Amino acid sequence: MPPRYLAAGLALAALAAPASARPVSYEGGWTLMQENNGMYSSLHAHYSPTATDSIGLYVEQNWDMDQTFSGLQYNRLVRRWNAPDSQGNLYFKLGAGAVDPFDGGQTELGSFAGVAADWETRRVFVSYDVRARDFGADESLSHAARLGIAPYVAEFGELHTWTMVQVENHPEADEPVTVTPLLRFFKGPLLVEAGYTLEEEEFLLNWTWRF
Amino acid sequence: MKLLKPLVLAAALSLAPLAALASPETSAMAEPAPGEILMANVNGLVCDFCAQSIRKIVGRNEAVQKVHVDLSKGQVRVDLKPGKSLDDAALEKLIRKAGYSLVSVDRTVAK
Repeated sequence: MPPRYLAAGLALAALAAPASARPVSYEGGWTLMQENNGMYSSLHAHYSPTATDSIGLYVEQNWDMDQTFSGLQYNRLVRRWNAPDSQGNLYFKLGAGAVDPFDGGQTELGSFAGVAADWETRRVFVSYDVRARDFGADESLSHAARLGIAPYVAEFGELHTWTMVQVENHPEADEPVTVTPLLRFFKGPLLVEAGYTLEEEEFLLNWTWRF
Repeated sequence: MKLLKPLVLAAALSLAPLAALASPETSAMAEPAPGEILMANVNGLVCDFCAQSIRKIVGRNEAVQKVHVDLSKGQVRVDLKPGKSLDDAALEKLIRKAGYSLVSVDRTVAK
């Protein structure tokens, strides 16, 4: 791998976001994505009418802000770079829906927008994700970055394993910068991630199922 | 004479398959002609989601019998059904629908 690519990847990772698995599938593909961490639990179920678009439901229960967001999310694969040994992606995400406080307070309109980029070979993975959100009481801008290394290269259908570190930046939070070492397991249509956020002493468990 | 009719009938029935074997229609029972095999070099194949996308999209085509993805070589092997064809432009379109880039295609016929 050319050193400049590795340097670019490390630089991206150093910027410090949740970096979800790819939010756009193949034409006609469905995907379920679930994320759980100390701050929130979310479910994104989407359908891809084309290889560059997906639309679906996004529901998030935010334990930090004591509220639930329920709405629609649109994802656009703005650009993909397919190379012989690597793939890079640039995504745009947009969501809108209702924000319901846990205490039964008034429902508000909420929205978010995000940009995500990733680049990977079969050995190295880097990603960066920035998201701006207006969920009523929660108006924030957050960043996340990941660096992953695969200790071995697996073939299609075999178990793929990645060791990753995720760095997140939530400027408004008590812990603005958090680090989460995690393991990613990938086999066929199922991807599972398990990690532990050091500063918040919280576990992370994400999964994605594509069909 | 009472026994003769059933005997003739039984003989005729037992010989019927032999007659069928000798008829021109027997070619339909022979081994079908082997299908073409396409070896496609594809850019961007780095993970199981990539391989799954290719298999789903290419496998849906009516000419395709089997799809195998080799991540290490960046190759997709497409076995066509006997008598079916898939030109390069059609394969390129399928690969693109899956989200990847076709680089080249080599064609052989299965033995």
